[in-house]
Amino acid sequence: MSEKLYSLLLRLFPSEFRQRFGEESIQLFRDRFREERGFWLRLRLWADLICDIAVTLPYEHVRVQAPVAETSLAGTTRSPSFRSTPRGPTLFVALFVGGAVSLAMVCIVLMSIRYVDRHPAIGPAALQRALNSVGSSVNEQSQVPPVFDASKLDAEERERVIDAAALNMREHYVDRSVGQRVADSLLAQERNGGYDGITDAMAFADLVTHQMQNMNADATLTYFQQILPQGTGTPAAERLAAYTRAMEQSDCTFETVQILQHNVGYFKLNSFPDPSVCRARAVSAMIALNHADAVIFDLRDNRGGFPAMTALIASYLFDHPEYWYNPRENTTEHSWTDSPVRGNRLADKPVYILTSRTTISGAEQFAYDLKMLKRAVIVGERTAGAAHAGAFFRIDDHFGMGITEVQAINPFSKSNWDDVGVEPDVKVDAADALNTAERLAEAKLAKK
Amino acid sequence: MPKQKLSPLPAAAFQILLALVDDDLHGYGIMRNVAEQTGGRMRLGPGTLYTSVRTLLEAKLIEEIEARGNVKGHEERRRYYRLTPTGRKLVRSEAERLADLLRVARAKNVLRGEYV
Repeated sequence: MSEKLYSLLLRLFPSEFRQRFGEESIQLFRDRFREERGFWLRLRLWADLICDIAVTLPYEHVRVQAPVAETSLAGTTRSPSFRSTPRGPTLFVALFVGGAVSLAMVCIVLMSIRYVDRHPAIGPAALQRALNSVGSSVNEQSQVPPVFDASKLDAEERERVIDAAALNMREHYVDRSVGQRVADSLLAQERNGGYDGITDAMAFADLVTHQMQNMNADATLTYFQQILPQGTGTPAAERLAAYTRAMEQSDCTFETVQILQHNVGYFKLNSFPDPSVCRARAVSAMIALNHADAVIFDLRDNRGGFPAMTALIASYLFDHPEYWYNPRENTTEHSWTDSPVRGNRLADKPVYILTSRTTISGAEQFAYDLKMLKRAVIVGERTAGAAHAGAFFRIDDHFGMGITEVQAINPFSKSNWDDVGVEPDVKVDAADALNTAERLAEAKLAKK
Repeated sequence: MPKQKLSPLPAAAFQILLALVDDDLHGYGIMRNVAEQTGGRMRLGPGTLYTSVRTLLEAKLIEEIEARGNVKGHEERRRYYRLTPTGRKLVRSEAERLADLLRVARAKNVLRGEYV
């Protein structure tokens, strides 16, 4: 909202200025807006911006007209020079206009904040709805009632989906021999008439799931499921658009990026969002922390996300490529951090990670890897303990299946944090974790 | 509009050049450095900053360099600015000019106590 408002104000500038510096100006505004939080700092920011616009706007417009007026003088003054508006009268006008516009803008901003909070279409409730719509893509089968007649499953479809399920198990299950065995068994059942007469889609899905899990396939992650009929699901482009909107509205779930006392950087991120949407914001956040003497990552409310984002942020914490263990992806040449990052100064700075018992999934990967690499001190509570994830394969309009697909090399130990969570180095209640980490950082920096 | 010559430099332009003495910086980096080196008195807004940056670019006192902070091949859209040798000379001569002024002020006992 604020960014849009500033973008509108920027339109007052000549197009030549906007084309050259418009994007940078918005980026500068975004950086300041992120850094300067709280009522007074925000008020000061808007006052600064409005005075800035009031002072520079006349100059920019005169500058655009000047070349036309000066064509006859071309060649007479070739030395580089600065122009500015005359100090006396312009200053008075600028202050007057700036003051008046500031007052008006402050009123508009305050009213907008109240409006945003209350308005059902753009307020926090709307964000929640947008996030829900993203979440629904994952849970769509449970949230939207299927439209097709689930009691009319015919032999042709049963055969088709069993063939596809067997193929998926053979090609994707993490243990190829188990995958082959399960596939063979499903096909044998089908040939022997084991599914004959089952016309209810749900019953069919339950039976196949039960059979696969009985054949040593991962009990929790291999399943066969009745899913939505074609057309009722949200198209991928729409899901991405909803996700992008939600991320824009929530600043990519990066709740706080600031410098605390003793020049300790503090980054509270409530998920690891998709880098294809949030890369620029993540890079900006890390640049904002670049001059800190220590960094605290607050993952107490982090619910995981995209492993690529954990690697992206971790890249700033090393001065050389470091193996970045991700149990959800096979080990490849991309399993290393993209370190060193040019211009980055955080590679040798102390790092603290705040955890809670609800810190989960990708957030646990971030904490686990940095702990194992002895690159961070974990402060807080033991994390939730969720490491594995299966890939979901859609078979046809009515069925899909989840399969444990990958097995990454864990260089640190035989097991990862699955079920047991990541144990903190310094055990304190999640509520006290920030204070504790700040004290630890201060003590560490004081020793230097 | 009257022209303001390079000498003396406008305060904002001089502060920007000073900010770039140690490191190449993007717009926000420049703004933060200027705020730090002026004890928070000068907070450059985008208009002032980029108007000055453009003039400094045209005068070849600074130059634009390729964006840094690239991660995994994706372009980071920030532009960084670097002091040119001419710019560095100008900062030095401006600092010397100010130092001369300071000497005169000291000699006339304009400054008292422990001022630098």
